[in-house]
Amino acid sequence: MSKNYTSLISELREKLKECKSPHDIANIKAYYLGKSGVVTNEFSKLKDASLEERKELGKSLNILKSQTQELITLELDNIQQTKENNDFTDVTLPGKNISMGSRHPISITINQIISILSNHGFTSVSGIEIEDEFHNFEALNIPDTHPARDMHDTFYVSDDKLLRTHTSSVQIRSMLSNKAPLKIMTPGKVYRCDSDPTHSPMFHQIEGLHIDKNVNFCHLKGVLINFIKEFFGKDMEIRFRPSYFPFTEPSAELDIKFKGKWLEVLGCGMVHPNVLSNVKINTKQYSGFAFGLGVERLAMLKYDIVDLRMFYENDISFLSQFKGLK
Amino acid sequence: MKISLNWLKEYVPNIKKNDIFVEELTSLGLEVSSIVKTKKDIMIDIDMTPNRADCLSIMGIARDISPIYKKKVSLPKYIKFIKSKESIFSNIDKKISSSYSVLVIKNIDNSVATPLFIQERLETCGLKKINLVVDVLNYVMLENGQPMHAFDNQKFTGKISVRYARKNEKLAALDGQNYNLTTDTPVISDDEKPQAIAGVIGSEGSSVSTKTKSIIIESAYFTPNIIRKSSKFFRLQTDASYRFERGVDPLLNKYSLGRVLAILKEHTSIGDYFLNHSSALKTAKHIGKSILIDFNLFESSLGIKISDSFIIQTLKYLGFNPEKKKTGLKVTVPSHRFDILIPEDLVEEVARVYGYNSFTPDLTSKSLDNIRNIENKTNDYSNLLVARGYNEVISFSFIPKGDQENHVSKSKIISIMNPISEDKAELRGSMVNSILNTCNYNFSRKNLNLKIFESGRTYIKHSDKKIIEENILAGAISGVNSESNLKNDQSKLSFFDLKGDLLSILPNLSFETHASISYLSKSCQAVIKQNNKIVGYCGEPNKALYSQYSIKNKIFYFELMIDKVVGIDSIKYKKISIFPKIKRDLTILVNDNILANDIIDAVERKSFNYMINIKISDIFYSKAEFGIGKKSITIEFIFQDKLSTLTDNQINDEMEKIISLLQSKHKAVVRT
Repeated sequence: MSKNYTSLISELREKLKECKSPHDIANIKAYYLGKSGVVTNEFSKLKDASLEERKELGKSLNILKSQTQELITLELDNIQQTKENNDFTDVTLPGKNISMGSRHPISITINQIISILSNHGFTSVSGIEIEDEFHNFEALNIPDTHPARDMHDTFYVSDDKLLRTHTSSVQIRSMLSNKAPLKIMTPGKVYRCDSDPTHSPMFHQIEGLHIDKNVNFCHLKGVLINFIKEFFGKDMEIRFRPSYFPFTEPSAELDIKFKGKWLEVLGCGMVHPNVLSNVKINTKQYSGFAFGLGVERLAMLKYDIVDLRMFYENDISFLSQFKGLK
Repeated sequence: MKISLNWLKEYVPNIKKNDIFVEELTSLGLEVSSIVKTKKDIMIDIDMTPNRADCLSIMGIARDISPIYKKKVSLPKYIKFIKSKESIFSNIDKKISSSYSVLVIKNIDNSVATPLFIQERLETCGLKKINLVVDVLNYVMLENGQPMHAFDNQKFTGKISVRYARKNEKLAALDGQNYNLTTDTPVISDDEKPQAIAGVIGSEGSSVSTKTKSIIIESAYFTPNIIRKSSKFFRLQTDASYRFERGVDPLLNKYSLGRVLAILKEHTSIGDYFLNHSSALKTAKHIGKSILIDFNLFESSLGIKISDSFIIQTLKYLGFNPEKKKTGLKVTVPSHRFDILIPEDLVEEVARVYGYNSFTPDLTSKSLDNIRNIENKTNDYSNLLVARGYNEVISFSFIPKGDQENHVSKSKIISIMNPISEDKAELRGSMVNSILNTCNYNFSRKNLNLKIFESGRTYIKHSDKKIIEENILAGAISGVNSESNLKNDQSKLSFFDLKGDLLSILPNLSFETHASISYLSKSCQAVIKQNNKIVGYCGEPNKALYSQYSIKNKIFYFELMIDKVVGIDSIKYKKISIFPKIKRDLTILVNDNILANDIIDAVERKSFNYMINIKISDIFYSKAEFGIGKKSITIEFIFQDKLSTLTDNQINDEMEKIISLLQSKHKAVVRT
């Protein structure tokens, strides 16, 4: 290669060093290899050379061209590499405008329970909270003189109106209006005159009721065991034991073994024939089971909450811990 | 109820492993709540359900577990009485006590110490030692469930009456209290005055001491409801009333006196004695009652087949008398079972002995075809609010007395007749109290940036006494829009953040200026409408509420009447135009009293050609440029045609029409 070309290449090297962007490189490429570029112009000198010279010159020019191309490509790669490095996103920086709130743990628990029970075919029904004696007590086989009324310390708002002590009143209303067959669940607020770390004057219940032909105690066990295992996990140890409710016969209580201790989580049983008669369902044709559970209790067990009062203080620092659950 | 395991073992000697035995008790429905080891014994505390009056004694529990240990309970020794000629009865009201027995013992030495084994057992079962006679009565009560009471015969004037108290009668009772009796109070009296509230407590005056020489021991069946009423009235529950109100075996009282006599005779000296007994023809409804039950009921109710012989054996051990009939059993109910009324009660008896845990769970109970879980819109809106940064809260339905008197009229407020405390005396007639209370609580804990909501009910009484419960979704915001952060813009939350949040969960809400919601500030309140119907309110609380809840931070509040809110469900697809959208801005000067909505409304009502969208993009005040009471508004219009690309002329024509409309309607001046 002639001296002339060597200086051309070193000049190119200098120019490339000053390039900062692919755009700068493109300009240089046009300057040397474009239609009227420096290298292209050198090729035009070929036609003026003698035949002998032409052979030698052609060789040199081809080397010049390929060297120029090579240097430009190399620098372009270099620059792109740097650019990529500068574009790197630190994905660990905080996200913008995060505004996730949270559902209340009671709502979350109710939603979980409803979702499990819907899969068993239960329809959610709600009802009034200010009830009368008939729907809250009498229809449920709890007469005025019954000792079981001691278990329900009742708030009264007038001589004949009270705050429902359980959502069973909704079951009575549903049975009266819809007749059998029936498969319902009744989530809602209930009220009892009771207040200490484990009792609140207002709390939430969900009760289930299934009335149909040939419904028996084994069906009750099937639904409830399945429910507990879906809610707490399939390894949960469960036991049933006889208990007493005026509105079921036989009556049972379901306990779970929690941290080594048996804890009562729900009451259940076969619907008492008197209750069915009270709502004019034929007991010769239909039977049914019912169960009731306290939402707060399940939520406390599931989320390790020790003090019931946390639920109603509504401290944002408490509520925010339930982010992401529905 | 606390029982002594050693004592129980006298009746069921084949109890081997204590832990298995405890599990068996629970499995039978006698739930063991705690077990305490004492020096020589084990105390088992059982949570007794109110229906099992028959198990409030050692022998009752022994009988209940007898079908498992196959051991019939035998009676301990007692003395049989012969008919006496002496009478101490004056007048026994058989409605109060249909079976009433009294044992009179003369010349008894009550200064003798109570035998050690009785003392120990009483202590294990949680009873205090008093004196020989009283201790023996308590011992027999624990043994067989019959409460008894002893009077000092020498302090008893004349004969015994069982009657209702007369007006102004009083009783100075054993617990040191003076009770004013009413004509509803059943009493035991002598010829002068009441000596006991029947079945509940005796008088101090006629009580038995170590010096007592002659005693009257009462052993009776009292009508449960009558005892329950009076025990509730005096708020007084004793070991006796607890048993009487649940139902003591009506055929037990005479035998119990014989049992007491046998023990006393063995441990002290006694003189003459005689027994008086009064009884109605039918002592209680369940005596002699029999129930017919079909064998099939066991299987149809329980879901598995239990053998006839197991059923019969179980019932026999529990004291029933089952007779085999053609298709089932005729079962005579024993006098100790008040709770067995219908065939299903017998099903439970058999099932609990069989063991609830022995029934195989069955998941095949069919679902109904007509299941349709009604869409829960509150839950959906709640989840959307959560995504907008809101925390859900749940407050008590109760609020303190007086808290809502400024915005809920007195006649509508529902008060609790028996509130648990003064701060839970009324039901809320509006959600605003609950929400502001929660704000206040959080502000006081330095949670200053709040976005909260609650879905709950309000409770209102109407003039015709009708009660209305309304489902409300309410909430409030306060503070700044997000925690400060290197890339976040932090700004104070305003009414428009609230409005934006509500429109994000329900895009078809409209907001109109309003001034008649008493608890909201007159300068910042809106009525929220949907399809021209009012569905809610929002704005800033009024000054009175701010100070009532001592809140200094600015709050914006909303409430939606959720049952009136309708979701968007009928959208019809419109063909999308492929031709370009063209944007035009218009800046006008108008009077400050013209609302943003007035301008949008005026244009939208007229429906201009090609215009597909209109919105306010800027508002600007400048005293220097336009003076007071004027504002500059920039409106953004979008034009698009379905069939072709719009030309400038086409759009200019429409813009001119719009300008002249705003000029005539709102005296707008176009700014350039």
